[in-house]
Amino acid sequence: MSAYLRLMTPMIDRECLLAALADLGFDGTKVEIHEAPVALVGYQGDGRAQTANVVIRRQHLGAASNDIGFLATPTGYQAIVSDYDRARFGDGWLAQLVARYEAHRQVKQERLAAEERRRAEEERRRLVEAQRQAVYERAKKMGYRVTETREGETVRLVLVKRTY
Amino acid sequence: MRLNLARTLPRSAANGPGERFVVWVQGCPLGCRGCWNPDTWAFRRREVTEVADLVARIRATPGIEGVTFTGGEPFAQARALAEVGRAVRAAGLSVFVFSGYELAELATEAHRALLAATDVLVAGRYVESDRAEGLPWRGSSNQRVHFLTARYGPAALDDAAEVEFHIDPDGSLTVTGFPRSSLLLGEH
Repeated sequence: MSAYLRLMTPMIDRECLLAALADLGFDGTKVEIHEAPVALVGYQGDGRAQTANVVIRRQHLGAASNDIGFLATPTGYQAIVSDYDRARFGDGWLAQLVARYEAHRQVKQERLAAEERRRAEEERRRLVEAQRQAVYERAKKMGYRVTETREGETVRLVLVKRTY
Repeated sequence: MRLNLARTLPRSAANGPGERFVVWVQGCPLGCRGCWNPDTWAFRRREVTEVADLVARIRATPGIEGVTFTGGEPFAQARALAEVGRAVRAAGLSVFVFSGYELAELATEAHRALLAATDVLVAGRYVESDRAEGLPWRGSSNQRVHFLTARYGPAALDDAAEVEFHIDPDGSLTVTGFPRSSLLLGEH
């Protein structure tokens, strides 16, 4: 029985891990995802003590391969690659995987940051417009003439009621 | 010479004629009941600034026709404000002052110095029982508008803006001028 090695990888985001695996040829049809970790299987069909949440079954790897897994831990997904499979899926492959993961993670961070900024900006604009409308409506009801100007991003509403 | 300010507003059309740089000074010995700005009464250090720095800020503000001193009580810092007034007038700007004192009460040398640098003075205590809405530049009917120079006359009152709202980018609202209660409270 060949040994399993646990290799720490700084991957915490499952979506990005799956995207990185897909980049390396293991798309959604070849990867199992489990909320609770499941046992990995060895090349002889033997159940291993190691468990993982993201699993590439040995059928997708090679005739003599063992399952490759990624176990979710509080410090990120830990890759579990057997000693035998490290020839093809060892440090070099993991380095590629981590590089792809980081690229996807970067894109996702930027997308989320942009969405967050957009949401905040929309909320700000909505609030300013609501304030503007409220002042306008009240001023109109009270017979004021309203002049609107802008000082940078500040909206200024000047209310005049002719006195003659 | 230094001034103790409560706040400034670089541009307002509801604090005197035309577009004005408005200076609210900190400290007022009068404390009129019902005053809009009780936070400006205490003689405590707030925004201390050199006269020259304030003058530079005013002169760097484009498109204004004057400066307005309000508060707080401007005549409590008359000597420094007189200096500001002289400097901005030398730059072609007008000076407008809101005071809680009657004109006849402004008799000290410092008072006279500020009056000499003032084009329009609105004078008199704010008397809550005499509150008058829609009276240009005044909060109560006992207050008087004194045109101290020929720069402005009573016609300037005709188109005076009563109030203005500033909606800041974060949605916060600032009100300045002489808002009617119903405008603020939503009564119609």
